[in-house]
Amino acid sequence: MSTLLSLRGVSKRFGGLLAVNGVSMDVAPGELVSIIGPNGAGKTTLFNLLTGQLTPSTGTIALRGAEINRLPPQARARLGFGRTFQIAQTLTTLTALENAMIGGFMHHRDLRGAAARAMAALELVGLQDRAGVKGSLLTLSERRRLEVARALALEPDIVLLDEVMAGLNPTEIGHMVHLVQTLNDGGLTFLVIEHNLKVVRQFSNRVLVLHRGAMLAHGTADEVLSNPAVVEAYVGKSRQ
Amino acid sequence: MSRSEAVSEVPAKAARVRCFTDELPLLAGVAAVLGGAVLLMAGDNFALNILATTFLMAGLATAWNVIGGFGGQFSLCHGVFFAEGAYLTANGVVHLGLSPWLSLAPAAVLGAVTALAISWPAFRLRGPFFAIATMTFSEVAYVLANYFDSVTGGAQGIRVPYHAGWLNMIFPGRIAYAWIMLGFLCCCLAASLLLLRSRLGYYLQAVRDNEAAAQASGIDVLRTKLLGFAISGGLTAIGGSVFMMYVRVVDPPTLLTLSDVGVRFALIALIGGVGTGYGPLLGALLVVPLEAWLRASVGAYVPGANLIVLGAVLVLAALFFRQGLAGALDRLLARRPGRRGAAAA
Repeated sequence: MSTLLSLRGVSKRFGGLLAVNGVSMDVAPGELVSIIGPNGAGKTTLFNLLTGQLTPSTGTIALRGAEINRLPPQARARLGFGRTFQIAQTLTTLTALENAMIGGFMHHRDLRGAAARAMAALELVGLQDRAGVKGSLLTLSERRRLEVARALALEPDIVLLDEVMAGLNPTEIGHMVHLVQTLNDGGLTFLVIEHNLKVVRQFSNRVLVLHRGAMLAHGTADEVLSNPAVVEAYVGKSRQ
Repeated sequence: MSRSEAVSEVPAKAARVRCFTDELPLLAGVAAVLGGAVLLMAGDNFALNILATTFLMAGLATAWNVIGGFGGQFSLCHGVFFAEGAYLTANGVVHLGLSPWLSLAPAAVLGAVTALAISWPAFRLRGPFFAIATMTFSEVAYVLANYFDSVTGGAQGIRVPYHAGWLNMIFPGRIAYAWIMLGFLCCCLAASLLLLRSRLGYYLQAVRDNEAAAQASGIDVLRTKLLGFAISGGLTAIGGSVFMMYVRVVDPPTLLTLSDVGVRFALIALIGGVGTGYGPLLGALLVVPLEAWLRASVGAYVPGANLIVLGAVLVLAALFFRQGLAGALDRLLARRPGRRGAAAA
């Protein structure tokens, strides 16, 4: 048991660019792992490798011990991956409820079952009052929260959040942090890309630092954020 | 296995969502109004012909809307399925002596299977490229229909002899055809609404709106598009079958001229409101009678002038009714209570 997701030497090459370079890590069920790193470090590429939008050039990705390298995104979603996108992928002609229902249909074939699941997910992210509003009319913050609702409506085993806090105001960030922690306490596994280091510290769980595609550091938030190599990657070397 | 108990624990408030049963009253109402129109026009063969054609085109546009509207896949090859239905029924009657009624189900199957065969490669393409690819299928079918004259009668066309009777789907009066076309339209509307209020319908719309989001939600995009296309093609083929018995003689230009058939289904759906349940019907109610009236009035004085006027109407519709007549109607209905509220305040 103990390992839900495991990566072994996962790399992705785009022509001459090695976007992800030999990343290895294990995620246990119920963990909350943050992935941080400067822009262009390969965080989103790593997410896309995990959820099947991309396939790794080398290395192995395994879910519960079974290799999933070549599975398309929809198959991985059925295996238990839920994800949000860095740029919110809202279904603009559908209402917020219907957006979440698209996720709810995963485990509920019937309309009412999917709608009930979707409504529950909307309530979790605080969008229950906007259920009937078309996706095209939602604000950026609402669209981000809707991404989370759609992912949660899938009833996933592991949720990948790609910068969901970006564009939210401090109150909304507070709610989102609280939501993620509550769900995590309930046993849901999270992999979170986050630029907001305050949020990362609050999660106070394992942190993985990517830099130029490779794993630069790995540990608790405090360990990682005081690591000189990490500080250097983020703000550069101080001239002495 | 703990499938995220945290998510499941949240009590689900009863969420209101329109089901197919919620659509039934309006569907019955629409059918009753259209049926009333047929009764009103009884005896007027010119009007009955226009009604029958309107219902047929409304049904075909509704069928097109399943993949073109809900699924957002702009097919221009629906004439192929239409022609298949017509030829299958004609051959059944002429060569096998089968009742046309018996050929409706096989026609639907043939249309659906052809739709799968055409779209499986074509769905590798997107947007306008998909539309162009489907257009070429339609043109190839035109050439094939001219060539295989043992099945299609070639350029001379194929004729179903006149033997009136219910079993032969041939009637001396025009009113029976209006009823049959209304029946076809109601079948298409019911199928379309049933789909719209089902998982597949929502999946089609998700695929149309955003393929990445759809995939991340566990939707097999290709499978969803193929299913939508097959349903659309099957319904269209049934339309071809009833059209065959309505006109009793068809040739390749009647069935496969791109501008008169494949494009027309899409055009009517676009005018009425693409992706909505009743939009295609609204489009047909406007376009078909207008065409007939223009042909008789303007076209009678200056040949071709009817097409100029029709073209102008289409341009105006494209400019001012972006979401079609259904969208305009929707906005009008949505505005009214707001105005009343403003007046009260």
